[in-house]
Amino acid sequence: MKGNDSAIVARGLTKRFGNFTAVDGIDFEVRRGEIFGFLGPNGAGKTTTIRMMLGLLKPTAGTVEVLGVSVSKHPEKIRPRIGYMSQRFSLYNDLTVLQNLRFYGRAYGVENDLLKERIQDAIQMAGLEGHERTRTKDLSGGWRQRLALSAAILHRPELIFLDEPTAGVDPISRRAFWNLLYKLVAEGVTVFVTTHYMDEAEHCHRLALIQRGRLIALGSPEEIKRDMMRGQVLEIAPSNTAKAVKVLRAAREAGRLPIEEVAMYGALVHVVAPQVKQYQEAIAAELRQANVEPGPMAVIEPSLEDVFIACMR
Amino acid sequence: MFKRIWSLAAKEFLHLLHDWWMPSFMLFGGVIELLAVGWATSRPMTNLPLMVLDQDRSAASRAIVTALENTGTFAFEAQAPNMAAVQDALDRSKVNAAVIIPPGFDSKLASPTGRPSLAVLLNGAESTPATAALRAVTGAVREMGQRIALRRLGLDADEFAGFDASLRVWFNEALNEAFYTTPAELGLMLEFTTLLFAALSFSRERELGTLEQLLVMPFSSLEIIIGKSIPTILVAFSDFVLMLGAVHFVFGIPVRGSLILLLALAFGYLLVELSKGLVISVVSRSQHQAFLLVMMVGMTDFMFTGYAAPVESMPRVMQIVANVVPAHHWLTILRGILLKGAGLDVLWPNILALAVLGLVIGTFSLRYVRRALD
Repeated sequence: MKGNDSAIVARGLTKRFGNFTAVDGIDFEVRRGEIFGFLGPNGAGKTTTIRMMLGLLKPTAGTVEVLGVSVSKHPEKIRPRIGYMSQRFSLYNDLTVLQNLRFYGRAYGVENDLLKERIQDAIQMAGLEGHERTRTKDLSGGWRQRLALSAAILHRPELIFLDEPTAGVDPISRRAFWNLLYKLVAEGVTVFVTTHYMDEAEHCHRLALIQRGRLIALGSPEEIKRDMMRGQVLEIAPSNTAKAVKVLRAAREAGRLPIEEVAMYGALVHVVAPQVKQYQEAIAAELRQANVEPGPMAVIEPSLEDVFIACMR
Repeated sequence: MFKRIWSLAAKEFLHLLHDWWMPSFMLFGGVIELLAVGWATSRPMTNLPLMVLDQDRSAASRAIVTALENTGTFAFEAQAPNMAAVQDALDRSKVNAAVIIPPGFDSKLASPTGRPSLAVLLNGAESTPATAALRAVTGAVREMGQRIALRRLGLDADEFAGFDASLRVWFNEALNEAFYTTPAELGLMLEFTTLLFAALSFSRERELGTLEQLLVMPFSSLEIIIGKSIPTILVAFSDFVLMLGAVHFVFGIPVRGSLILLLALAFGYLLVELSKGLVISVVSRSQHQAFLLVMMVGMTDFMFTGYAAPVESMPRVMQIVANVVPAHHWLTILRGILLKGAGLDVLWPNILALAVLGLVIGTFSLRYVRRALD
């Protein structure tokens, strides 16, 4: 590990497009060797932030240092040391698996002998043995994603940026993809990843939550759950979920129940409130009055999704 | 640096290999177009359908129709029963010309003081055949008038030495239309091929979403421009050589000047159009948009090449504008070298103009595209 153990340092990073502020003075640090998750709803400014860190966009204000180098001053010094995998299109669909990998390798100046070896590794890692001559467009989404990752790390970058890498990929492929990320991190690579899958966010070492261009939470998943949750979560399994949500929201509006949030989770309902246990009876009474059987209730550990929804309100 | 440029150029060639339609269009589309234009225009205008409304029905009226047919320009199509039929045939473009011979044509022709007249209607909507028809009619009628004059003077054709201009056409002795059309098409096809190909280079990657990836890689903007341009230059130049071969060997278009000079200038001109194409490419958000822009630029250039209408007969403003259109100078150079055997001594003003325009456009393009990529 190098002397400086911050992979990314962003200070007051701001981007305005005309009157619209896409990223509004955000500060964060990413430590070397960690998986740093960047969470936020669509349009929150995730991609804009990544583009500034890559040197594709000039910040309106603030600075960002990547691997100890100022991005706006010397983008060319950073590029050979980082990898980037964008939302969907980092591969050339009309080229074969091998041709894509060769292009990546040569573009980054990987020498021929070494390149051959690494392409072998990459194909193995993506599980594409025997498909070397398949056109990329004929691969399934999960394979394409793993191939894109293998291509992005062919030159062994110290830091990789992944912009919603698993969007639109099935859960098994996502799991395989994350296993690859763990392997990389074990080798000392730093991973910066944006996602809106909460289960994936739980796998990150540290997280930043961003909303409307502002950073609203920063820390490990546990810290965020502890600090950001204004209350406890009561999980209810009522007979009519949709109606239960409606009834409880109406009760909150009417001021009969001092609860913060009511949200549907499949067949379950999560109610968030400080000391929620003491309202358990009142909640059950409200539901019964509306002819909804409350069913079993329990105070549970909040998930990131609870926190996320509570924060985004 | 060269390795990186090569890696990019190699990738571009792979795209070409996989997408066979595009390069084959680029290489052979021009050749096919030239062959079609050349064949269609390689003969003088002949067999234009002619309608006759003969209200005289005499030996003289038949003689004038025969004289018109003998020019080779016309082919007798039909006798018209009345004026309405003539009108109808012209309206429907069934005939290009109609001759109306009024009653008493023969007797006026025979009388020493008669002034025989003849009406000829031409379809001006199609101006090229109309011009050919006009020329043929004028010639036939003048010849007939001369014969009448001779007869009235009681002279023999051998005794008469009238005034006649001795006409000789230089550079295209047989006035073969293909000598005019094919070199112009050749020059324009080089422009279109280069422009289109260059215009698709970045717009394609932008549309597919891969441009971002390219920009994050350790390429400098100059390396990207060079790597992307190499295939365009190679394909467009090969296309030019193929097209030149086609017009030379199939239609006998001569290369009277220096072939080396021609190829060198074609290469230079190609770089100018490449610069324009690259600007279009970074301005466009999609391939579709790039294509439409190329059509617009190409059509505007086309107007100023003097192919459709001579630049000399355009309004003054248009003539001035024509001077800053590279294609205008390029076509002058191309015709000069091919047909006139002109060299540097004659063509230098056009070459200089092309060089200056190239320098200005090239510098602007390079700066603009680099800015767009950075």
